[in-house]
Amino acid sequence: MNPLLSLEAVGKSYLRGPHRLRVLKDVALDVAAGQLIAVWGKRGAGKTTLLKIAARLEKPDQGVVRFDGVDLATLREAEHTRLMLEKIGWVRRAGPKSDLEMLDYVALPRLAERGRRQAYALAREALERVGMAECAGQRWGSLSDGERSLVAIAHGIVRAPKLLLVDDPTANLDVIEREQVNGLLRSLADEEGIAVLMTVPDMPALMHAHHIASLSGGRLAVPPPEPPELSHEPPRDEEPGRVIQLRSREQSA
Amino acid sequence: MSAKIAVLGLVIEEPGPAHRLTAKLRQRLSSAEFVDSNVYSALSRLERDGLVRARASDSTSTDYEATEDGVRHFEQWLFASSSAPPLRDELHMKIALCQPRNLPRMIELVYGQELVCLGRVQELKRSFERLRPPDPKRWSGLVLVMVRDAELAFWESRLTWLQGVRESLEHMGAGFANATRGQREKPPESPSAGFANATRGQREEPPEQDRAGYQNASRGQREEPPEPLGAGYQNASRLRREA
Repeated sequence: MNPLLSLEAVGKSYLRGPHRLRVLKDVALDVAAGQLIAVWGKRGAGKTTLLKIAARLEKPDQGVVRFDGVDLATLREAEHTRLMLEKIGWVRRAGPKSDLEMLDYVALPRLAERGRRQAYALAREALERVGMAECAGQRWGSLSDGERSLVAIAHGIVRAPKLLLVDDPTANLDVIEREQVNGLLRSLADEEGIAVLMTVPDMPALMHAHHIASLSGGRLAVPPPEPPELSHEPPRDEEPGRVIQLRSREQSA
Repeated sequence: MSAKIAVLGLVIEEPGPAHRLTAKLRQRLSSAEFVDSNVYSALSRLERDGLVRARASDSTSTDYEATEDGVRHFEQWLFASSSAPPLRDELHMKIALCQPRNLPRMIELVYGQELVCLGRVQELKRSFERLRPPDPKRWSGLVLVMVRDAELAFWESRLTWLQGVRESLEHMGAGFANATRGQREKPPESPSAGFANATRGQREEPPEQDRAGYQNASRGQREEPPEPLGAGYQNASRLRREA
């Protein structure tokens, strides 16, 4: 199976004062449809940069990012905008810039393309999918952190994306909210075949992912292959047709 | 924590045969790494001490159930204050005792330990995937998630520490490379200039490929390390905290 998203030898650095800080070094990562991949790292490790580069919201200094086989660097601005509206959902818990009701906020990405009536129907559907239908008339400020995460996911999935990029969805959530949000993301991958690449601030949030990695000092570390399975029952994430698509620098060399 | 008390707790929770208790122990306390024989020897010790008793069952195997003494003994353990875990780690010793010339190999050693930690997190994830997803809104699910999170908190803190160590060593390596080049190009400013550069240059990347940089660094160290690694590392940590 071809990966939907593929990062090859991606590098990125920033100037911090007189010094250059390299946040990604030679990062290789593939995400296939129906896979949830979680990248753990401490604050400032470059997790958000990794997601932004995956969506071409930032340009890498080196390397290639492909979506559905297309090198994102070759897209024109309009093509990229269309891609972000239709195929890539960007989920972060920043909320709307204006004081919108949540139904308006979730409908926004579809308004121009589908018109008001259809966009609102899709927004209601997305809110229902994440279990937040009753918050349609509420405003961002009145929601709890857990509710904000769920609404942000609804805002991401309303465009029926192939790929969801999710930035720290479980920061500051309690155990119950965290399990709910992560369970939802896993079900979006399992049941709807969405490829999900998410960054997480703590390890419990890794538990629902198909594959895990950690990012630190620019290196994307991937756990070593596991010992042979003793159970006769195959693990859920190794169904036929699924591919493990995380590669460390050492493994790709 | 002994296998004896863990098995007693499981028998109190639900009487059953040894093989079922073994499977439960593996699922519920995988991090403790008990082996099957621990359960059998624990059961015979518990029976000898009058804390559990065998009872007839429908199947060919023997079921075990807790006695009143067993329940009392378990509750005494449950509510006694827990001792602090011992903090003795071979890697701490290795870092404390390594020398600047060991930098490149120490970096790889620490990175290897990071992968080991990630591997343990992955194993834990897989063992949970074999269970029915725990529902944290129910008692049984909540305690399962809390114990799992305790193990994850351990790995998370260990991995965070390892990453900090590796990043500091890498910056130190870059500093050595700069210092070595500087020595070739002009006379040294002061005996500790190399480490001053190293700490100033924490956020600066090695100008060459990492591995080449480390090699230069280790070559440089064979010439003259300006001060012990420990002092440089402390400076590096202090500067990071201040930053």
